[in-house]
Amino acid sequence: MTLEFYKGLVEYDLNPFILFNNNGKIIEFNTEAEFLLNYASSNELYNLAINNAPKTFGFEHKYLSLKYGKLSYYAILIGYLDDETIGLKLYQEVDKTNKIKKIDNLQEINIFHLIDISKTTTFLNSKIKITEIYDISIPELKLNIDNFLLTLNELFSLYTTSTNLTIEVYIKIGVYEIINKKKHSIIVIQLKSDFIPKDITKLEQQASKSHINTFIIDNIIKLEFPMIL
Amino acid sequence: MEKFIALSPSTTKALLVAQMSIKLPINILIYGEQGVGKKVFAKTILPNIYDFEAVELERLLKNKTIELNNYKMIIVYNIDNIINKKEFFNYLKNIKIIATASQNYTDTLNIFAVKIEIEPLKNRIEDLNSLKQYYIKKAKNLYNTEEDINDIPIDLTLNAISLKQSIFKNILLKSITKTDIQDILQEFILKELQKGNIKTYKDFIDFFEKPLLNAAKIKYKSQLQMAKELQINRVTLRKKLSKMEEL
Repeated sequence: MTLEFYKGLVEYDLNPFILFNNNGKIIEFNTEAEFLLNYASSNELYNLAINNAPKTFGFEHKYLSLKYGKLSYYAILIGYLDDETIGLKLYQEVDKTNKIKKIDNLQEINIFHLIDISKTTTFLNSKIKITEIYDISIPELKLNIDNFLLTLNELFSLYTTSTNLTIEVYIKIGVYEIINKKKHSIIVIQLKSDFIPKDITKLEQQASKSHINTFIIDNIIKLEFPMIL
Repeated sequence: MEKFIALSPSTTKALLVAQMSIKLPINILIYGEQGVGKKVFAKTILPNIYDFEAVELERLLKNKTIELNNYKMIIVYNIDNIINKKEFFNYLKNIKIIATASQNYTDTLNIFAVKIEIEPLKNRIEDLNSLKQYYIKKAKNLYNTEEDINDIPIDLTLNAISLKQSIFKNILLKSITKTDIQDILQEFILKELQKGNIKTYKDFIDFFEKPLLNAAKIKYKSQLQMAKELQINRVTLRKKLSKMEEL
């Protein structure tokens, strides 16, 4: 088999692969790694490789739970055969749950109305300073109001000890979700604060009931969901 | 019907958010310490809705003695007391519920999409002042007194419950007449004599002496002045006061 064949296997692998030089500079990477680099810096990934590298030349697997944006990995492979280069491969977690979207009990509602209710009740006795940046052109849309409010409650409750919070609501540009062969824009509710919530498991669990995707990047939490009109 | 007083910032917002949530297909929980006004709050936002004590409703549901189809919306008080919450809320899954609960209630089943906390009265100065005036007016009418009663001590340990009790008690004390006191004492002494707790004239002296000396201590600046005004020997007064303090 030719070297081209091996290169093809790496390039079209569903798992990201990155090759670094001894200064931490990326020399090669595959298509999946390109997606990963949207969420993780090359420095962060180089440190991951260095900190988990085998003691001597060779290859080693490590089972770790890693999350970068919406990408989750369950293991890594690190290998080096000389002092010049080090390779890192991350193994993607596969979601085996039924992905068919069935959202029931939909009712037309103004989401700002729901955000206001959840925000007010969660911070009723709090002195938190809230800045709101809303795209008020977002029309009334169809939602499962009960689940959506419960998700918002989980989201805001992460910030009850925080002193400041910026809430941004906007439509994601150029991104769509297809449900029942219909194209829907994506709405983002983005929360930013000096305070960084550590555990968002409860939020993720509640959000998944409403088919809302949750992302945490540094001190920003995003909820993304289709705009069903 | 009593209306919830919402003059403080937190209760003004709470009332507003409750009114915004009423028309949504969700359940609402109103929670807080005892006596903060959860029941009155629920009745203020939904004055014409059927209401139940949670324990009573659970009994009716278990015995199947309630026709749920007759209700689209209900108020349920004190849901902390429900024994089987899962079964209870399953019975009511097609009915909009507005419930009240204690401060420590945890909504583990995620039944309530809107949870409104009513703050303790001590943190709601505007509500407290208004509620105080309301109870003073009611107590003055009841005891038929026109005394100036704005500086009476109030008790907020049980929020509006203890506030009301302390105001009524204080106004009762201020409006009481000499004849009322004599009647009360006669009633009390008779009871004590019948029980055999107190027998001699000396035993009863404490009842008269203690309030007299306490009142004189408030009015007069020194024991010297007290002795002079009460026309009692100074040494005797000192003995009586130290005996009282020991007790």
